[in-house]
Amino acid sequence: MIQGQKWTPEMRAEFNRRRRGRNYLLLAALGGFCILIYAIACVKLHEYGQMW
Amino acid sequence: MDKPSPTIALTTEDWPLTTDLGATASDWLALLKPRVLTLVVFTGAIGLIIAPVKMNPVLALTAILCITIAAGAAGAINMWYDRDIDALMRRTANRPIPAGRIAPNSALAYGVFLAGFSVILMALATNLAAAAILAISIGFYVFVYTIWLKRRTPQNIVIGGAAGAFPAVIGWAAATGSVNLLPILLFLIAFFWTPPHFWSLSLYASGDYERAGVPMLPVVRGARYTRWNIFGYTLILVASTLLPWALGLMGWIYGLSALGLGSAFIYYALRVLTDKQDATGKSLTKDAPAKAAFKYSILYLFILFGACAVDRLI
Repeated sequence: MIQGQKWTPEMRAEFNRRRRGRNYLLLAALGGFCILIYAIACVKLHEYGQMW
Repeated sequence: MDKPSPTIALTTEDWPLTTDLGATASDWLALLKPRVLTLVVFTGAIGLIIAPVKMNPVLALTAILCITIAAGAAGAINMWYDRDIDALMRRTANRPIPAGRIAPNSALAYGVFLAGFSVILMALATNLAAAAILAISIGFYVFVYTIWLKRRTPQNIVIGGAAGAFPAVIGWAAATGSVNLLPILLFLIAFFWTPPHFWSLSLYASGDYERAGVPMLPVVRGARYTRWNIFGYTLILVASTLLPWALGLMGWIYGLSALGLGSAFIYYALRVLTDKQDATGKSLTKDAPAKAAFKYSILYLFILFGACAVDRLI
């Protein structure tokens, strides 16, 4: 039988805090990636005279 | 009487299967060895700055980002491979993997993904030459240093030091698409800088390495032999730093900086050599000169490479 562990409210709060932190980090990484790819695309297109 | 059927307590909000609270965001960042990254970013940026070709700032920043991510990825894979010995050393026992906050396989997947991502992004944003050197530097750090040399020979950091010498070459290659004599000389400088830098640290952390069975020079050949090697490699380092000036690739700002900084490094290495020691060469001053030499070595490389940029920009 697999026995679950009882979490105290403090443990639950800490678990949520850590998960929120990881999610924000992932959000920042993905957002940064999108902006970076957009900026690289603009520069490359501009260099080859295909934009502006 | 019927046997009770086995039950599985499914994980719920109140009854999770484990008491593990999971890693924090900073644990994932710690896998990238952020303290090492500062020097990598700096030397990579210097390679870009001193290159004769001016890059678009967006592409230059992307190149530096790729170098940073690649170095971090190599660090994460290194932590995955070294998790057994990290657990034995006081300095590294609280890293996310030995402390049990991140599963080893997750760390490996993270490192491999970031390594591949950095190389592909470098190729897309700059050129194939820079991406190829970046891939070689990751492979060198992981396969040659971490897996092959680190646990086998006291020369581990001498040869493995090449991995840390790549960023300036990669920065140059990102800007120019090729490699010539100056970035190779910068590579040599970072290469010869590594032994006195790491052996100064290992002189006062040799207990940790001994416990973990890592054959660092002070563990295998003793402290006295290590002191002589620090001094010898410092002399080679200082001589190599003067080459860009002597060959006319750098001006007087760099030359005088290399001379002044090098003289100070020789002084620190001499202090390590003449530290008060017992019969086996172990320090009687709690390795104060080695600690000072280690700190100075970091400052030394920052200022020396900074002088390269200043010399080129003025």
